[in-house]
Amino acid sequence: MSKRKAEDHVAYSEAAIRNNLSIVEYCRTSVSAISGCTAGILGLTGLYGALFFVFAVTSFWFMLLFNAGIDSWKKYFISRKSLLLNGVFGHFFTYILCWTFIYGMVHVY
Amino acid sequence: MAKFVYKVVLTIAFLSLLHSAISAAQHRSYIRLNELEFTHLPLDVFIQTLLSLFTIMYAVLHLAGDFKEIKASAELENKSWETFRNIPSFYVFSHRGGKCSPSKASLEESE
Repeated sequence: MSKRKAEDHVAYSEAAIRNNLSIVEYCRTSVSAISGCTAGILGLTGLYGALFFVFAVTSFWFMLLFNAGIDSWKKYFISRKSLLLNGVFGHFFTYILCWTFIYGMVHVY
Repeated sequence: MAKFVYKVVLTIAFLSLLHSAISAAQHRSYIRLNELEFTHLPLDVFIQTLLSLFTIMYAVLHLAGDFKEIKASAELENKSWETFRNIPSFYVFSHRGGKCSPSKASLEESE
């Protein structure tokens, strides 16, 4: 109980949090664009493409946690669930844009 | 220096992705010319595409920047109390020490 209370009173530096989250946002935007291109090259259609997006985002999440340190990610982020789920629909639209564009370039024309 | 290595890796991975896209387009045109049914890509193109995707992810993650510790006290832990009390605006140089010091007084006389 006392340990829980000590955790509640940790002061976070807002500038550092914002810096970390903007880095993650930048990476996730590029990852969704590139994974869209990959799905287009692979010629995925329909539900397979959506599953590939889930696969790409999840593997990037694992890569991010591994890069921050499996035990020490708490030093850099408050919650790892929000790292996975923040703005996932916005990134999905970026993904669809690149997916359909590259699919058309490679497989249709 | 490490950043430069990651930039090179990123460029190579992008070129590899482009190469696999060209290979996929060639495979597609081969299938169209032979009037076959498209089922899936050749395995080597598939593996090259996935490998370039993961390489790009890895390089982008390292190029985007370093994380900072989010604890507010993280930056202050290495500093001593003397560093905190040090306020350069309050430095005073024209104090009575100059008048009292014999060496400084003799310097002023000789000028």
